[in-house]
Amino acid sequence: MIKRSFFTLTKPRLLYDLVEPDPKEPESIPIPSDLTLVLDEPIDSTRQALIKEGDSVEKGEKLRLYNQSTDYTISPVTGTISAIDTYLDDFGNTSTCLVIKNSQSQTTDTNSMTYDLKDDIASADEYFRTLPGAPPLKILASNTVKINTIIITCADMDLLSTTHQYITLKFWDKIKEGAKILKKLTRIPKLCITVPENLNIPGESDLIQVFKTSMEYPSNLPAMILKNHLSMILPAGKTPEDMGVSFISAEAVVSLATAYKTKSAGFEKILTIIGKQGTKYRAKATIGTPLHKIFNAFSIHINDQDRIVIGGPMKGFATYTHNHPVQPDMDTVIIQDRDIIPEVSDTPCVNCGKCIRICPANVPVNILVRYLEADQYEEAADKYDLESCIECGLCAYVCTAKIPLYQYIKLGKYELFKLRALETANDE
Amino acid sequence: MTNNKLTVSHAPFWHDGDSLFKMNLNIMIATLPAVIFGIIQFGAPAVGVIALSLSSAMLWELILNVVSKQKISIGDLDAAVIGLVFGMMLPATSPWWLVITGTLVAVVIGKMIFGGIGANPFNPVLIGMAFLMLSWKIFFNFDAAYVNYEFNFTALAPLAALKSQGVSAVADLFPISDLIMGKQVGAIGSTFGLGLIVGGIYLILRGYIRWEIPVSFIVGIIVTALAFSMANPDTYAGPAIHLFSGYTLIGAFFLATENSSSPVNRLPMLIYGFCAAAMIILMRNIGAYADGTILAILLLNLVNPLIDKIRPKALGKGANNA
Repeated sequence: MIKRSFFTLTKPRLLYDLVEPDPKEPESIPIPSDLTLVLDEPIDSTRQALIKEGDSVEKGEKLRLYNQSTDYTISPVTGTISAIDTYLDDFGNTSTCLVIKNSQSQTTDTNSMTYDLKDDIASADEYFRTLPGAPPLKILASNTVKINTIIITCADMDLLSTTHQYITLKFWDKIKEGAKILKKLTRIPKLCITVPENLNIPGESDLIQVFKTSMEYPSNLPAMILKNHLSMILPAGKTPEDMGVSFISAEAVVSLATAYKTKSAGFEKILTIIGKQGTKYRAKATIGTPLHKIFNAFSIHINDQDRIVIGGPMKGFATYTHNHPVQPDMDTVIIQDRDIIPEVSDTPCVNCGKCIRICPANVPVNILVRYLEADQYEEAADKYDLESCIECGLCAYVCTAKIPLYQYIKLGKYELFKLRALETANDE
Repeated sequence: MTNNKLTVSHAPFWHDGDSLFKMNLNIMIATLPAVIFGIIQFGAPAVGVIALSLSSAMLWELILNVVSKQKISIGDLDAAVIGLVFGMMLPATSPWWLVITGTLVAVVIGKMIFGGIGANPFNPVLIGMAFLMLSWKIFFNFDAAYVNYEFNFTALAPLAALKSQGVSAVADLFPISDLIMGKQVGAIGSTFGLGLIVGGIYLILRGYIRWEIPVSFIVGIIVTALAFSMANPDTYAGPAIHLFSGYTLIGAFFLATENSSSPVNRLPMLIYGFCAAAMIILMRNIGAYADGTILAILLLNLVNPLIDKIRPKALGKGANNA
């Protein structure tokens, strides 16, 4: 954890980590006997499901809950479905998790199902949404959102993580290949890539425009990339996709290239694991592998009240179980010892102004939090720029009163969204 | 497989390690040069006043916590800072009841009834001081307060002398070096200019006070006093005596910078500091008070919410993206 320096006349600078110059091969985690897959769709007991416990599945088979379902997942192993259950996330959103019992021995790796692919984005969206790196094919294939720029992120968005950088160094040719495929599929002319300014990429490509991003957090967050490199100001409450810009991780581009070559899906996700002492490990695990298998491989011991953070230290989320599966978009896992977990408090804002100095979006956090504490979400959005927040978490990082500001803001946005949805429903 | 109970909480999972306790502790450390000098200068009574002020402020907050059935909040040292700064602004000869009445008003009326830390619209210290000054003006006559002391320098409160005797009379009485080195009569913690400046710079470097406020405050004092003095050098004194006497420096570094009652955006901070200083000079030169620091800063506390509305446009708001 980066602490406050003794002299802090200026705001603190949090720097992104740079991948080590000659990175080692990631440690391969054997395919476990039980894998957990997450489906975005909640279980609806009134409908006849397409899959049930006891069904056998093949490696590469597409699994959907219902006939009309658009969400799907792809089984990474051949085996049987041993459980279907509801998964609840931070905000109470429900999704479904499937547990698949691996029927093969761990050593043999059968070939994955091959697909009949056409050269358009809809066909890619049909099978490749859950590739490692989670390519945003749903958005790219959608007719309602018009994307005109694709940005490949080789610079990791959150601190500590070096997964994307590692992939960029190791698979630069695959990225170029994947970029070519993306261009062909989507017919989107503008393809850009973000690279940390201190990282030397193995080569250039005339297909892709390179954006050298600053090493200082939060310059790799979508809103900042839009601002610094595309001279585009993200309007409050809009997403980059609304502005026609879609972000795709370097890993997604690589796995797309491989998938098109083999005409089948890949399942090996590369992760950066950060141990309690800050040691970095790199692992290659099959999507669906429970995290404790990875911890065992690196002999990381988890005690009571430790914290497992998925994603980076600023924007990630904490999981409540070691069984949390590896997911397509999971780049970083951080294990924090209980002794270093910073506490939060319910002290009111003292108006010290540190959040105002550090906020990259000029949000008046000190006033905003007073409204959010009082559940005044609409006022907070109208007058105090709730929706301008780019969700970097820096305000809560520096807060002297240790107020969980980022949580208040996320909750505020979520409640505001619900309020607005309710209003539109009432109007109709 | 193990089944530990994990800690689950929300991002960010890092914190810079700062806390209210550390912030207030640093403010207290920053006051030490001035306080220690005051104790050396004014002797044991000064220790008594500072100790009583600090402890009674904490005690009032504790009593209020218990009475209002709130969480005990004195651990964040906010009350201690109020008590300490309050004590620094009193003459060493203040009677005990004056001190505890003052801290009662400061902590209870100045801070707790507004909702405690962070909720006070005015600097609690100034609320208490204003109350005492309006009620028992006699105790703030520094010339009378130290009548039994033997000093090896001019035993006259500079600002009061300036008010009553005029510029020409005091011109040679208070050399700047004496004022800076604390060779003047005043409140316990307000006489040692150098100590206050060192403490203030320490706080600025540590990031516990916002540099814009003290800097613009001092600039405001210099500019306004200079303007007066240039217009009429016979009637109005130059900036030096204004800057290094009375409550000016304690005001610049410890009073105007109180978090809750001061602005946080850059331009408002500059306006706030400058205007507070300009008000002080106006009060000293034209008004009835010898030292207007307390009322001037209180006045600017009042307009703080209004000027703090001047702020940069948030990302993605406003006309340029319509």
